[in-house]
Amino acid sequence: MRILRLVVCLCLFLLASMTAGAVEIIANRDVGVGRLTVTAARAIFGMRQVKWPDGRLIRVFVLPDSHPLHGALCKERLNVYPYQLRQSWDRLVYSGMAQAPEEVASEAELVARVAATPGAIGYAGKVQGNLPIKVIYVE
Amino acid sequence: MAPWLAAMWLVAGTAQADQNVQVHGFLSQAAVHTDANNVGGSSEDGVGLDLRELGVNASYRPNGDWLLSAQALARWAGDSDEGDARLDYAFVDRTLSSDASHRVDVQVGKVKNPYGLYNTTRDVAHTRPGVLMPQSIYLDQVRNFFLASPGVSFTGDVYRGEDVMNWTLNFMRPEVDDEAMTAFMVTQQPGHFEGRNSWLGQWLWEHDGARWRAGLTLGSVAMKYHPTPTEFLQPGRIRLNTGVLSLQHNRENVVLTAEYALVRQLRNGFGVPALDLDTTVEAAYVQGEWRFRPAWRAYARYEELYLDRDDRDGEGFSALSGLPAIQRYAKDAVLGVRFDATPGWALSAELHQVNGTAWLPRLDNPAAQMQKHWHMLLLQAAYRF
Repeated sequence: MRILRLVVCLCLFLLASMTAGAVEIIANRDVGVGRLTVTAARAIFGMRQVKWPDGRLIRVFVLPDSHPLHGALCKERLNVYPYQLRQSWDRLVYSGMAQAPEEVASEAELVARVAATPGAIGYAGKVQGNLPIKVIYVE
Repeated sequence: MAPWLAAMWLVAGTAQADQNVQVHGFLSQAAVHTDANNVGGSSEDGVGLDLRELGVNASYRPNGDWLLSAQALARWAGDSDEGDARLDYAFVDRTLSSDASHRVDVQVGKVKNPYGLYNTTRDVAHTRPGVLMPQSIYLDQVRNFFLASPGVSFTGDVYRGEDVMNWTLNFMRPEVDDEAMTAFMVTQQPGHFEGRNSWLGQWLWEHDGARWRAGLTLGSVAMKYHPTPTEFLQPGRIRLNTGVLSLQHNRENVVLTAEYALVRQLRNGFGVPALDLDTTVEAAYVQGEWRFRPAWRAYARYEELYLDRDDRDGEGFSALSGLPAIQRYAKDAVLGVRFDATPGWALSAELHQVNGTAWLPRLDNPAAQMQKHWHMLLLQAAYRF
């Protein structure tokens, strides 16, 4: 029994380490930026930075707060908790300082919207090569 | 309430024709029971339902440099606020400069004033730290002093590694012509106040993804009293020089917040010794919040408010004015729980044990009937989109 428990734990651990790091920030192919600092990525997803260096409007797409992929984006790429991002959006949206990100229901829809919207940024779990999007690296 | 506000609110959820236009809104309804004193129409043996908020906002961002925003609000709070629809804010925001290291914006119109961590969205239940704002710092009786005012605002962010510095500087004339404020400032007199040239500034530092937030608000807000021809008060002036220190620590399941405020009230020209005072309001609260399950949080808060830090028990004021000493201080212990039933809906319950009546609405609580020790239970349902 003890060995079985150990094996199950090991499998769970392996699974967890495989899924960790399984979120990538993606953007529409027309976006001229390939890398972002954590602070810059946070400012963009926090709706405080609203334009790309070429002046084009940034369009942010997100999943619901409770979606595991959204949690992964917050923790692994932005280093914030999802509730903090939500509070930050609320503060801005209800004081007129900024607009809210666009929320979509599923990862497939998020990828499709980013691919179809100029200036768009979002995130995805696994990025397939044949999609008309680019991956943005966070450093 | 104006029908146009309800109509706008109903239409809002669906009418987003342009991708650059957004519409959002919020509403809340609370039920309150007190064992003494009146809040939201409650009485010793009844339940008050007179605590309600309804708001809708629209924004238009044609490009990365311009933003137009406006919000309409109706609010009910006992006799001091009776649901008149009003413009909460309406301004044009222009980004003057923006790159990977900073952003600077200017806003012109009716702009939101920074004051502590929560003032700019104080009427949106989801953004408050509890059912009621901590009354020590965010005293509802003088809310219009700090709320939003016609003026100009400069605001920006500076990004440095793991730190973000957010700053705001507003120049405005506060909209203070309201009955609750007049009652608070000069007891019940028939005249009215008018805002004078004022400023408020805030510096907010966020470290490590806002795990730490520290803020300093400074300002000087002024108003002038216009007596009616028949009353005995002279056209006095009040200037509030204010400072607020804010500190917050965010962890995955725990949020700790503390704020401390000093407000020096300089009054002169009323021709009444009890009103021509130079006193300093002192206020502070500490709050701990525990997110014990997804969508659930429990919180505890303790706050103190002294309308004159050199006369904390109010006895000096009472001797001078003949009014009760208990209306000069309040110590409030709060326990609360909130359940976010859906992303839009939040249900809250909050229990207060209070000593003193400094933040009670004067219009709902005549001095002679105020009780020193009292309890209050609040239940609230709130929705936002």
